[in-house]
This record gives sequence, C-alpha cells and structure tokens, in this order.
Amino acid sequence: MTDIPGGRTSRDPYEPELASFRETDDQTAPDADSVAKTGTTTVGITTEDGVVVGTDRRASLGGRFVSNKNVVKVEQIHPTAVLTLVGSVGGAQSFVRSLRAEASLTEKRRDEPLSIDALATLAGNFARGGPFFAINPILGGVDDEGSHVYSIDPAGGVMADDYTVTGSGMQLAHGTLEGEYDPAISIGEAETLAARAVHAATERDTGSGNGLVLATVTEDGVDIEEYDDAEELL
Amino acid sequence: MQDNQQQAYDRGITIFSPDGRLYQVEYAREAVERGSASVGVRTADGVVLAANRQTRSPLIERESIEKIHAVDDHIGVGSAGHVADARKLVDIARQEAQVEHLRYGQPVGVEALTKTLTDHVQQYTQTGGARPFGVALLVGGIENGEPRLFETDPSGTPYEWQATAVGGGSDEIRSFLEAEYDPEMDLAGGVTLALGALGQVQNGIDADSVEVATVDTESEQFRTLPADEIAAHLEETDIGGDEA
Repeated sequence: MTDIPGGRTSRDPYEPELASFRETDDQTAPDADSVAKTGTTTVGITTEDGVVVGTDRRASLGGRFVSNKNVVKVEQIHPTAVLTLVGSVGGAQSFVRSLRAEASLTEKRRDEPLSIDALATLAGNFARGGPFFAINPILGGVDDEGSHVYSIDPAGGVMADDYTVTGSGMQLAHGTLEGEYDPAISIGEAETLAARAVHAATERDTGSGNGLVLATVTEDGVDIEEYDDAEELL
Repeated sequence: MQDNQQQAYDRGITIFSPDGRLYQVEYAREAVERGSASVGVRTADGVVLAANRQTRSPLIERESIEKIHAVDDHIGVGSAGHVADARKLVDIARQEAQVEHLRYGQPVGVEALTKTLTDHVQQYTQTGGARPFGVALLVGGIENGEPRLFETDPSGTPYEWQATAVGGGSDEIRSFLEAEYDPEMDLAGGVTLALGALGQVQNGIDADSVEVATVDTESEQFRTLPADEIAAHLEETDIGGDEA
C-alpha cells in the first residue's frame, strides 16, 4: 500500500488492484431461496486447435423454479479466454467483472495478454482471498503454450485438465465425456461432444436446461453461439 | 532585485506572483517544450497519434523509448515532456478505464477520461510540497462511434482539438496543421498528415525514428503501426529524409 496520490491501490495479490473485495458482516446473509443460481452444467474440452466450452441456459431458485430461460453462462474475460458462470449469479457476475478488468489492465501495462496459467492463478487468488462467491467456474483459454481448461472451486482450488465439468449436472455430463474424450479430436468434434454432454445433463438435472451455449476459443479469439435446442448439434 | 522577487514566487507552486502567474506551472510547460514532439490528428474515421522516437545513441533499444501508450482497447495516449511523469498519468488512465468497466460495465469516454487526468494534474498545482507534472498528453480514442482528441497540459486544463501537437516545436507543427488539415480526410490521410507534421521539426524521418498508432471508428481498437506500414506512408509523402 502507498499513500502517494495516484499510487497503486493494492499490493495484496489475493485482492484485485482496482477495487477491494469487502467482507460482508454476514448478519444479513441473503435468503438462499431468493438468490438466483445457475444450477448449471458447464463443460470445458481442450483440443489441439482450441478450447470448446458448453453450458446450459437455465437460472433457478433453489433448483426448483426456473427464474430465467436464456442465460448466457459463458463470458469472454480475455482476448483468448472465457469463464463460465456457475453457482450464485451475483457472485459469478462480480467475479467475471473483476477478472476481466484486472486482466485488461495487466494486458495494457505489459503490451501482451496474460498467459492462461497466469489468468487461472489470478482467478484462484480472487476466489481464495475475497468474500465467499459461491461459484465453481471453468476457465478455458488458448495461449502460446496451447489449449487449457481449469476448474476453479469456491475455496480457490485451481486444477488444470484435458476436459472438465462443473455445476449441478456434472455427474451426468461426465458420464458422456468419460471414455469419449480423445485429445486428438477436432474443434468440430469437441463442439458435438460438449453439446452431447450438456444435453445429457439438461435431460435429467432439474438445475440445467433450456438449450445450450457453445463458446469456441482459438488463438484468433472467442466465438459464443446460443442454441435453443441442443438436438440440432448432436 | 527583480531576480530575488521572482525567486520568491517560484519557490512554491501554491504561490501566485503579483501578476497572477504560477511560475512552477510555467516551468513545467517549459519541460514539455524541451521534450520531443507528439502529434494528434482527428479524421472522419479515426484518430492518429504520432511521436518522434529519435535516439541519443545507436546502442539504445528503440522499443524502450515509449511515447505512445494504449490505455484501453479504444483509447491511446501520446506524450511530450518527462517520460516518467507521463508513465504515471498513463497508469492512472489505465486504472480509471478499467474502473469504468467495473463500475458501469461500459467503456470509459475519451472526454471523461481526459478530465479525470486533468483533475489529477490540477491537484499538483494547488498542493503544498508537490511538483506539477512536467508532461503534456494527447488523449485520442473513439466515444459513441465518434473520434475524439484531447490535450492535457501541466496546469490541468483539458482542450479538445481537431489536430494539434505537444512538445518541442509544437507551435511550428500547429501552424503546419492549421494550413493542411482537412476534416474530411480518411485515416490513412491522417497518418500521412501526422508524419508530415513531425517532419516540420524532425530531420530525416524514417520508419524507426517515429512511433504511430491509430484508433479507427470501425474496429474501435487501438493499434500500433508496424515499421513497414509507416515506411509505406513515408514513401507516399516526400518527407522521407531528403530534406535533411
């Protein structure tokens, strides 16, 4: 910390530089049933040429009432990386905003985008050091070293993998991916696989449903497409 | 006697002289004038920033001389004067641009960002123990689809321009721009005009001795021109060194 006007506001690596997370005193923890959650199934798959991230589109209250039917639960946070929104919608949106702003600031200072590994570390630090966000996102991205997906857990655990799934429908989606994934698949095949995995979960998990969003990340950038029905991709 | 009197008034920046001048701020303007020039040109389809990056030794790595900086995707800054002071302001601008994304979820406006910077600079003309910023900036970018170009000076005053220069020889460059500027010109024409303007005060311009960046209305992205593109623009004009 520095007292010089205009000096950097935070030297704490677990906190964003631009705005500090404030711990709520928790005497007014929001009623769990009135907080929108994504429930959700989100899938991240790496291939040689890029990353495919698939999500459903449902937001629900307590997993029992569908509060929104067309949520885009994957957002671009970096020129070649996306993050999924899993868990509390408010926590996830705030997390995305912070991560995007910090990554952009660093990119402008260094004249090159952060590596995906650095971005994952930053995300883990924020999840660990901030208030309890109640989120479990996937980070997927491409850099000089290739394609990466990470799952980030609510306590700040960051784990890289060839493919990963988070959200209430994770067992169902894993059932599809397990044994089907092959590191040699093309991006097109990965899109089909992600669609099948999310579709399986939307059929049986009450927290997931209402179609599908696919994000494709290559070294050229990010493309996010919405589909009303996963069937058209299977 | 005269000297003693003036010295008393330039001791502190917070002290006005009897004729209402702030000597330290005026000295800071001199510091800007000692720096090599940066030029800004606003065209119908984007903003151009160009700066002299002449080196004092062939051993210095040219890339390490940075006078034009990306602030956000859609805004860049050119500078003249104290490089270190410029870097500080640029970082404030970068932080402010991201705070706007955090707070409102939208890109910061060029005018709003300029005024945040000038308000910061102004504090250094009214605070005891401080020294004014010895730097002038050109802030160029796209706001609501329109190109905008602003200047900040060491007093903390914002100005908006169609085309201007800061730093050494800026008066001469501005006269050139006043004669040659055409608001209808396209971005490529703006780059050529900016290089021509630098050519007024810089001998033997080549692609390595200038830095050029643009923000166009179509992509709204800050972009640094590679050396071969600058060379192509220089070829188009007759500035390419032959007058040296």
